[in-house]
Amino acid sequence: MALMNIFEGLASLFFVLLFAPLFAGLVNKQKAMMTGRVGAPVWQPYYDLFKLFRKETIRAKSASFISGLSPAINFAAVIIAASMLPVCNAHPLISFKGDIILFAYILGTARFFQILAAMDIGSSFEGMGASREASFAIFVEPIFFFTLGSIAFITGFTSISDIYRSIAMDRMSYTVFIVVCSISFFILAVTECSRMPVDDPNTHLELTMIHEVMILDNSGQDLFFYQYSGNIKLLIYIVLETAFYYPLGAGLTAVGVTIFALNILFVSFVLAGVETVTSRFKLKDMPHYLLFAAAIGILNLLIFTFNK
Amino acid sequence: MFSLRDMFFISMLIQAASILAPVFIGGQRRASALAHITLVAGLITGFISSFLAVFFPMAHTVGTGFFGLPPEYFRFDPLALYFLCVVQAVAIPTAVFSYSYLEHYIGEGRSVKSLYVFFAGMLIATQMVVTINHAIVFLVFWEATSMSAYLGMIFEKEKKEVQKGSFYYFVMNHVVIFLLYIFFFILHRQTGSWLLSDFRVVTGNSGLTALLFLLALAAFGMKAGFMPFHFWLPRAHPIAPSTISAFLSGIIIKLGIYGLFRAFQILSPAPLWIGWLVLVVSMITAIFGVWYALAQHDIKKLLAYHSVENIGIIGIGMGIGFIGSAYANIPMQILGFGGALLHVLNHAVFKSLLFLGSGVINNNLGTRNIELMGGIVHKAGFFVFLFLTGSVAICGIPPLNGFVSEFIIFNSFFTAARELKEYYPLMMLVSAVGLAFVGGLAVACFTKINAIMFLGTQRGETKPFHVSAYDYISLGVLALLCVVIGFCPVPFINAVNNVVSGIVPQGGAELLNINWLYITVIFTLFSAVALAMYFISKAMRKKFGFRESDAWCCGYNRLGPRMQYTASSFADQINDIARAPLGYHKKGRAGEGIFPPSSGFESHSADLVDNRIIVPGYKKFISLMSAIRLPGNTDIRYYVAYILIMIIVYSVVGFLWH
Repeated sequence: MALMNIFEGLASLFFVLLFAPLFAGLVNKQKAMMTGRVGAPVWQPYYDLFKLFRKETIRAKSASFISGLSPAINFAAVIIAASMLPVCNAHPLISFKGDIILFAYILGTARFFQILAAMDIGSSFEGMGASREASFAIFVEPIFFFTLGSIAFITGFTSISDIYRSIAMDRMSYTVFIVVCSISFFILAVTECSRMPVDDPNTHLELTMIHEVMILDNSGQDLFFYQYSGNIKLLIYIVLETAFYYPLGAGLTAVGVTIFALNILFVSFVLAGVETVTSRFKLKDMPHYLLFAAAIGILNLLIFTFNK
Repeated sequence: MFSLRDMFFISMLIQAASILAPVFIGGQRRASALAHITLVAGLITGFISSFLAVFFPMAHTVGTGFFGLPPEYFRFDPLALYFLCVVQAVAIPTAVFSYSYLEHYIGEGRSVKSLYVFFAGMLIATQMVVTINHAIVFLVFWEATSMSAYLGMIFEKEKKEVQKGSFYYFVMNHVVIFLLYIFFFILHRQTGSWLLSDFRVVTGNSGLTALLFLLALAAFGMKAGFMPFHFWLPRAHPIAPSTISAFLSGIIIKLGIYGLFRAFQILSPAPLWIGWLVLVVSMITAIFGVWYALAQHDIKKLLAYHSVENIGIIGIGMGIGFIGSAYANIPMQILGFGGALLHVLNHAVFKSLLFLGSGVINNNLGTRNIELMGGIVHKAGFFVFLFLTGSVAICGIPPLNGFVSEFIIFNSFFTAARELKEYYPLMMLVSAVGLAFVGGLAVACFTKINAIMFLGTQRGETKPFHVSAYDYISLGVLALLCVVIGFCPVPFINAVNNVVSGIVPQGGAELLNINWLYITVIFTLFSAVALAMYFISKAMRKKFGFRESDAWCCGYNRLGPRMQYTASSFADQINDIARAPLGYHKKGRAGEGIFPPSSGFESHSADLVDNRIIVPGYKKFISLMSAIRLPGNTDIRYYVAYILIMIIVYSVVGFLWH
């Protein structure tokens, strides 16, 4: 049984590592089609990553050891976060009481070093991105606790896989709760993964970027790690988003995997749709948008607590 | 087997002997070297015995009296030993650092003997405070600690800011000791004993318990720096010599926490509203502490506000413990107090690391303004690495020690929600969100100072940066402790659990039941993956080529140091969100026309608690006091006479009373 669990966990991790670029490609392709373009093939992120990995690395003259350390730490943090994912409700590689805290905080480590690496260049472009990333990030962990964390407080389970299993078991009494939580969580995912309407991944002006401007001066293997970690992080959040609706019974069976794949496809469609119809918010308005997500969380919880 | 009491006294004697060196030896350098060697030797002797007593509780006996001192005057219970161990663990690196720090002043031609004497006196008195069991002696050493810290603080007393800043600390200490007098006298009236271990309140007397709790919270809370009593920290820390401010922030404010634990032992169980009061005040302290920190440009002031934040985090854990005690809930108490106690150790370690680091920076650059720094990483890479270790630890992010204690506190939230039901899940969720918010702000703050101080290129005039071997040793030891507690928390958890079972006698294994092995394995895994990726990319760089180039600047190549992001601009967006409570305001004037003349920008923030409560209250108090006009308002001899008269009146009243 224990061996089976480890196998399942490794399979999930492998799945995330393998398909993360594909998911990004999928979103981009759908977005292109919705705006009436042909778009790059869905495999494009793989080509890009492969190309980056084999390229010469150029660093700024003012860069220090932080610039070398940060891509590796980012990647390691994302790997640890990915190994807590309940893909298809399978047993994750890392699952223990309180791992929800580790999940939130290990992504904080990645962010810490990413911001430092951006400031390492000493250019005001990167400074701008770092400052914006830092100021939006202060809302990320609170929103995370308002969504996934609120379920932990209500059900009493503190491990991500247990939390999802517990809501799958008693879906009736949590229906409204789950729907609202998943909406808040979607906002969180959009913020964390620097997608529209918080950040425009395809923008071409340094002044308007958030995440992209932080890695402006990175190239070669450094950029490879950043891009790949970004892809994995996106898939992590999307898997957590779909897990709100994943049926309990369908584990790692053929039916289960199909449902899972359809779910992911659906979310990628939604993400592409949102990115097509919205434009990026003004930076000034961003805290309001994020606080809105937090407010939904609070309201939701109040209703849940007093409606018992 | 060894006798703890004997070891303690031997170590105290060696430490006290070190004070003789600067008194009897003329040469500054020789005196300083001899004194520090003696002091460190004494501290290590003490540390070994307290370390063994904390981590291997079976290996010692308390022993009998020494020098004819009554044995009951000292108390070597787990709580005292734990704090003693923390004090000594931080004191050793600080003392090592002190040597090279004083060297800097000697180089300037100043006499450092007074600073050394007060520094050593502060260490010794602090170790006494946590072990003394007699209320009056406790107060004496409490005062000795505060005053030697004060006297050390005013080392550069010719500076105006030093006189002003230290005065707040001085006043605060006397308010604290005044409240403590009342606290101990009431307890003495209740029990007829002066021993802390005998103090009790008659059960059922809830009014008195509440009063005593409020007294203890006011007195010890002021020492610890809870809001709104935090006003003295950002004033006293920047002006103190770094050795003093490191110990002040790492240890002396923890004496307030120690006092609160002792008060809880005397008064437990706490009323529910006290628990909530502590929790809410701590939450406010933590959030606004870190937010005020974010708006600072003075490195030491910023770190002082971070001490406020961390005291808040410790207080959150204690609040959960108090609430647990009101409900007679064992798991909550164990996790809450356990988290608080471990955070005491953690904060002591990383905050002294950061303060000592700021001392090195201050000595080299001659400024505390981070806006003038930058590019230190190119001159002292390893020093930056050590400072960065402390920064990661204080943010509470994996894989260092800050995460471990915050993890326990988060667990105490979950436990409270699970055990008490009702409205607790909601309240605990809000607390968890608050703590997560604090973590996010801390990340923003520490990326700010690390980035602005160390990375990029130097903003002000370029100076050489020298870090001595002693600095490296002391910072290295503290950084190593951060790593060890983070990666291998089990022995420390055992020690804390031992202490907690002294506070919560019923005991329980909640702390030990957390799966610490997972934390160790995951952190190791994390580091292994990160290192592997680092070396892979290094190998790839070798294979596919590597070169350095100018940073991207939209096609230009005139990227000067002054064009870098500054600390104010980095934090601007976050400070804008809380403009009102921070008193954050900006002044800018942009040049106009085709060839604009010079333009400027400045941003300021104020401490609202300070500006609205403390300073006006102080002014009002002064004007009220000066309204009382007695004859001879200007001559000090009249005041001496008044004091004499009061003493006589008190003595007569006291004599007739009995």
